[in-house]
Amino acid sequence: MVAPAALRVVRCGGSKLHGARAVFSADARYLLCTSGDFVKMYSVGTEETVCMLQGHADLVTGIQLNPQNHLQLYSSSLDGTIKLWDFTDGILIKTFIVGYKLLALYALANCEDLVFAVIPKSGERDSFQLVSVKLTKTAGQEMEAKELSVILDGVDESPKHTAFGREGEYVASVKEVNLQVYFFKRKQMNRFSLSATNTKGGNNRFTCVACHPKEDCIATGHGDGKIRLWRNFCHNKEYTFSTLHWHHDIVMDLAFSVEGTSLLSGGIESVLVQWHNGSDCKKDFLPRLGSAIEYISVSSDGTSYCTSHTDNRITIINSNLRFSKSIQGLIKGRDVKTGLVVDPRTKALVLNGEPGHLQFYCLQSDKQLYSLDIVQQEYIHQAGLNQLDLVKVAFSAQGKWLATVEEREETDLELQLKLWVFDEETQSFKLNTRINMPHEDHITAMCFRDRDEFEDDSPMLVTAGKDCLFKAWVIVEDTDPEAQQSVSWSCDFVGSYHNYQATNCCFSEDGSLLAVSFEETITVWDSVTWDLKCTFCHPPGKIRNICFGRLTCSKYLIGATDHGFLCCWNLLSCALEWSAQLNVLVLQPDPLSEHIAAVSWLSKDSSLFVFKPNKPRPICIQRNLCKEKIQFAAFVPRDIPETIVSEKYLWLRRSQLYFLTNTQELMTFSTKSPEERLTPSSKQLAVEESLPMTPFSLLLGKHRHQQSQEDVDLGKVVIHNHHNQDSPAVKELLHTPAHVLPSASFLCPIFINSLLTSKESKSAEEIADEVEMESEEAEDDSDEERDIIEMEQDDLRPMDFWGETTCRLSKSQEKELRKIRKMDYSWISSF
Amino acid sequence: MAAACGGEAAAARAPCAFSPGDRRSLAVCGADGRLRVWETAGSRLQHEYVPSAHLSAACTCLAWAPPGGRQPPSKDGPQRKKRKSEVTEADKQLDILAIGTAVGSILLYSTVKGELQSKLDGGHDNKVNCVRWHQDSCCLYSCSEDKHIVEWNTQTCKVKCKWKADNSSVSSLCISPDGKMLLSAGRTIKLWDLETKEVYRHFTGHATSVSSLMFTTVKPMNENKPFDGITGLYFLSGAVHDRLLSVWQIRSDRKEKNAVMSFTVTDEPTFIDLTVSEVKEEPVKLAVVCRDGQLHLFEHILNGYCKKPLTSNCTIQIATPGNDEDSTPKPVPILAAAFCTDKQSLLLVYGNTLQPIIERVSLNTTESQVCLIRDVQKALALKTDVAVTKIKTPVVNSDTKVLVPGIPGHSASVKAPPSGKEKNKSKRKPGETEESIEDRLGALDIDVSKVKTPGGLPQTDSFAVLLVQGLESNDSDILNKVLTTRKEALIKNTVARMPIHAVIPLLHELTKRLQGNPYSASQMVRWLKSVFTLHASYLSTLPDLIPQLGMLYQLMESRVKTLQKLSRLHGRLFLLVTQVAALETVQDVTEVNQTAKLVYEDESSEEGSDDEMIADKDSDENWDEDDEKEEQSDEQDMAVEKEINGDSDLEPENESEEE
Repeated sequence: MVAPAALRVVRCGGSKLHGARAVFSADARYLLCTSGDFVKMYSVGTEETVCMLQGHADLVTGIQLNPQNHLQLYSSSLDGTIKLWDFTDGILIKTFIVGYKLLALYALANCEDLVFAVIPKSGERDSFQLVSVKLTKTAGQEMEAKELSVILDGVDESPKHTAFGREGEYVASVKEVNLQVYFFKRKQMNRFSLSATNTKGGNNRFTCVACHPKEDCIATGHGDGKIRLWRNFCHNKEYTFSTLHWHHDIVMDLAFSVEGTSLLSGGIESVLVQWHNGSDCKKDFLPRLGSAIEYISVSSDGTSYCTSHTDNRITIINSNLRFSKSIQGLIKGRDVKTGLVVDPRTKALVLNGEPGHLQFYCLQSDKQLYSLDIVQQEYIHQAGLNQLDLVKVAFSAQGKWLATVEEREETDLELQLKLWVFDEETQSFKLNTRINMPHEDHITAMCFRDRDEFEDDSPMLVTAGKDCLFKAWVIVEDTDPEAQQSVSWSCDFVGSYHNYQATNCCFSEDGSLLAVSFEETITVWDSVTWDLKCTFCHPPGKIRNICFGRLTCSKYLIGATDHGFLCCWNLLSCALEWSAQLNVLVLQPDPLSEHIAAVSWLSKDSSLFVFKPNKPRPICIQRNLCKEKIQFAAFVPRDIPETIVSEKYLWLRRSQLYFLTNTQELMTFSTKSPEERLTPSSKQLAVEESLPMTPFSLLLGKHRHQQSQEDVDLGKVVIHNHHNQDSPAVKELLHTPAHVLPSASFLCPIFINSLLTSKESKSAEEIADEVEMESEEAEDDSDEERDIIEMEQDDLRPMDFWGETTCRLSKSQEKELRKIRKMDYSWISSF
Repeated sequence: MAAACGGEAAAARAPCAFSPGDRRSLAVCGADGRLRVWETAGSRLQHEYVPSAHLSAACTCLAWAPPGGRQPPSKDGPQRKKRKSEVTEADKQLDILAIGTAVGSILLYSTVKGELQSKLDGGHDNKVNCVRWHQDSCCLYSCSEDKHIVEWNTQTCKVKCKWKADNSSVSSLCISPDGKMLLSAGRTIKLWDLETKEVYRHFTGHATSVSSLMFTTVKPMNENKPFDGITGLYFLSGAVHDRLLSVWQIRSDRKEKNAVMSFTVTDEPTFIDLTVSEVKEEPVKLAVVCRDGQLHLFEHILNGYCKKPLTSNCTIQIATPGNDEDSTPKPVPILAAAFCTDKQSLLLVYGNTLQPIIERVSLNTTESQVCLIRDVQKALALKTDVAVTKIKTPVVNSDTKVLVPGIPGHSASVKAPPSGKEKNKSKRKPGETEESIEDRLGALDIDVSKVKTPGGLPQTDSFAVLLVQGLESNDSDILNKVLTTRKEALIKNTVARMPIHAVIPLLHELTKRLQGNPYSASQMVRWLKSVFTLHASYLSTLPDLIPQLGMLYQLMESRVKTLQKLSRLHGRLFLLVTQVAALETVQDVTEVNQTAKLVYEDESSEEGSDDEMIADKDSDENWDEDDEKEEQSDEQDMAVEKEINGDSDLEPENESEEE
């Protein structure tokens, strides 16, 4: 029925959510954010993923709502395309091929077919420019957008370093210690710079910029934690700025509220600061946001803010600075030291989360279950401060016991081994034994004896350390009558081998044998009598990984050396069964079958080999898994064995293989074709929204509808009046002294005529406007001195639309209005 | 699939429903009219929804929409199976929840978006008793107190069909696995043909109104007959105030009208879940939650008639531990239960409906009575906020065992090979001495008083006696008295005079005391020293010396290891303390003579140009050498610093002009 599908590598666990600023939909009900190659839409109310926009071939770098239609979204990607989506239905509308790597995307309300993007400058490395991209409106799915015009040169690649000002009149961009502001209408560029080094040795460079939505005001964040508010920057000399200082380190992002009355700032302190009216004294804080704030965005209706954090989390915050919701992907810490461990109880993947925490990640729902605070010490966000960190984790077979190792390395090592028991009564882990300095040096490996049936009687933990020892810990009954606990852990055996560092340890399936590798040698011990049974080695390589075979292959011991050999020894004959030349990084046995997965690293890419220990021939070879090095792998048992037709992929039947690369991408395999695996949101039960009006909304809706119509009418009148006041007749009427005015009967027809609008008047006005602009420019030219670099651009194409903005705006507004009207009527008719 | 439709609850209990498929979430509608969706994996509140009319139109029943629009199930086995696995793999986002209300309207709520999708109105004019989704099309069936069944088109939110189903209220519905038939239950159970809306079969037997209906099989067990989609299937029904669950079979002949078998439970069933068997050999697993809060598990292969009511294979109860103030364990009611997709474990929902606890329990039906002890005495908050962070803090009690280097158990105890025998011996020993101890104690008291009365200060020889007696009787008073002595000579004499058999017990006692506080350890070391100097020859003759002194050795090792660190720390602290002391003396001096400002002028010209840091360093070095100078330069530094501060504020006007 189903053709044997090829094995595909599928990313899971959610990519970085903090790649670009998140965007609220117009009604602030949904939040759109980039996630690797996808754009994800979350419901603000429930934190759930509503839909996923997929189509980009590389990292999505920027998303912006289409200012002309707030149900559409532009997204830019490193693959050089800008895509236009209908995000409510998850449909790709158009693809614009730009051809350059797009690093940031900006869209403005007053330029209809133009978006702005940051692209690398051709021919120069680490040099970027801001360009406008003309998006032609032609039919068809894909089209080329080659009409680029450079607006600013030498901008920074980060999207935070460029911002567009009030109504798109100017653009501000910062790089290092320079701030440049370009005024579109006047085609004037002002540059301001700070001295590179502060006298205090502080870091003065710009880190982010934001523009006030209503006033001419630019806020910049700096590396030393200061925020500067620049005003009057249209003059290159008489500009002013004020300084706000609260952050002690880099200001990561800034955002103005919708009306611009308050400014939000965030940094690595993980505190959101709200500054009121640009004053230093009035500010509010929202502390304890968990980790450094990467981006801040504000919903267009001003009801909520959202902060993206470095630990792959998005927090939605009410406008009165209260926590509302948080969307958590797989926490990506600095370094995953614990590896991938599967919790047998919840079947969740367990690994390092926040500093000092263990995160339990549910793979079925692709969500974090919870995170367990192991270290239980406040984490201080400060560079150069060594704090306790989790380095090793192990679960016993049924998940009753959890062993964690935390270490802090300063001048000398601080180690702690904690043994937690799962308390069924309270449904939480409970600390049973804490062991300070279990080893004199780093612990390299830790494992429980996996004996299901004996677990209640004699669980055993083995730790191997760099202090050349391995220790076996067992549960003992507490003899002390005062102790509350009946059992606690204590050391049972300390073993060593020729004073070599112990690097790995592993129990056989039945728990009778323990293999401990000491540098070049693997030693096999009887776990009851602690006799050294035999030793294996494959000189000159040091042992990197060991594991025992399972089920029918339990007589084999597999070891991988760092000299590029994979060896299989027979434990019965104590002889080498086979060996293969393979630079194995990760060796992972499947707990439910005989299969063992080995991930090798060959110069450029990783490959996967799946084999059974009894045969030297691998069952499955998957080359070019990914370009990154794979650090850890784990087999996660499936709830229901999957039906896999292909003989080759039978090893995926009972458990699924997940692996983590050194860029902390969690990946897995799927035999399903993409269409099968991913559920498009269109498959969801399509239920038409039909909500009857509540009496209140009915009243209010009617009222509002009327009001809006009145507003529209009034607005027209107002506009006309405005025009009329400008008209010469009215001017004459108003400005001429009364005693020289002709009789009222003469003036009346002129006045009446002036009230009638003519279409010619607009164009005339435009011309007048342009004339004015030019004159202004001339003035500027005369004023400007050596400081200011004139923008003498030959092609004025991107600029010339600026004059006609008002006209077009009204058109689009009318369109909008027409839409609204239609909607309203349908409401009423439905009732 | 019947397993996918989640089960249902009687009206007395809060209606709750598991999401179909992998049971990822549980929707519970509380008595306060709020709908709460809980995540089953972490029993965490996902979100809460308050219908606008939650007080007037309370929620009466819930049903999750089936996963996606699926094809109608085909007949052959392997194909079916594959489709099922696809469904679970596909990670469906189920989001529509149908909520029936007491006034007859049905709400469709999207759990992903967290908002009301649509409202189905105008079908019923009384309480909705049960809602059921059709597996394949987007039809919804509802039945009500008003004796009617309504078929809804959820696309258009209009009534597709409405028909009178009974003379009394219709309490329950169930759709056949092939989606062509509908079971309804009022007074009697009726099987409707959905095409024609005509009654196909009648089933009578329940005395009270039927509260739950569920199909237990998807295809008939005997495969020799052609399957028309309905004949040969079994279904299950439970009724109000009835402690029997009846199983019915749909037969081709219209004769059979009684239940084929029945399951007994302890109380009225409130929530039923089952695993549908697809193979003949596989038993149907049935989990029935009763009104009394117990859960009964049944496992039975359905094949034909069975006269005797079947009793449960396993009964699960939950109780509080009851070891606190209230010593009696209290039962915790189970609210709902559902089988996980692997059919091997069970999700249990217990506690109260406002804050249920969801736990995954693996099934082992070997025991017939299981009582789980769970601590659910969490303070019940009426307002359950959605947790902002998902951080759980594990319990850390003060009574956890702490092992530090040197404490027995931190490192392996050194054992000699024949340790077993030794242990036996040592065990026997205390038993022997116990009898004699009473006598000895008596003698001891006299002895002590005797010794005390004459001199007041004990003689050294009597100290040795005391020690031996103390060791033998393990009397801490006597031992304290003896071992707290500080006189070197006294200790030496006592150790010299003590009998040789007391040496090992003394060593053990000393080892025990060494682990105590460091102050006593320093005393014990004196004793140890004299023991080792005086009795080294005896100790070296002992065959089991290594195990006897192993712990002492480890203790000493670990203590010695920290010596280096300790001395380093001591050195640093000493440095700090002296610095602080020096600073204090300096400050004292400065307060005395504050007047020497003339000298200050001279030196400021020198150091004014210097950087602040360098000035600081200078002052550090000067510190001890010359107090007078130091004071001056100190003040100077202050001035310099002020200047720097004044300058330090950035003046970008200048700088931008520079550029």
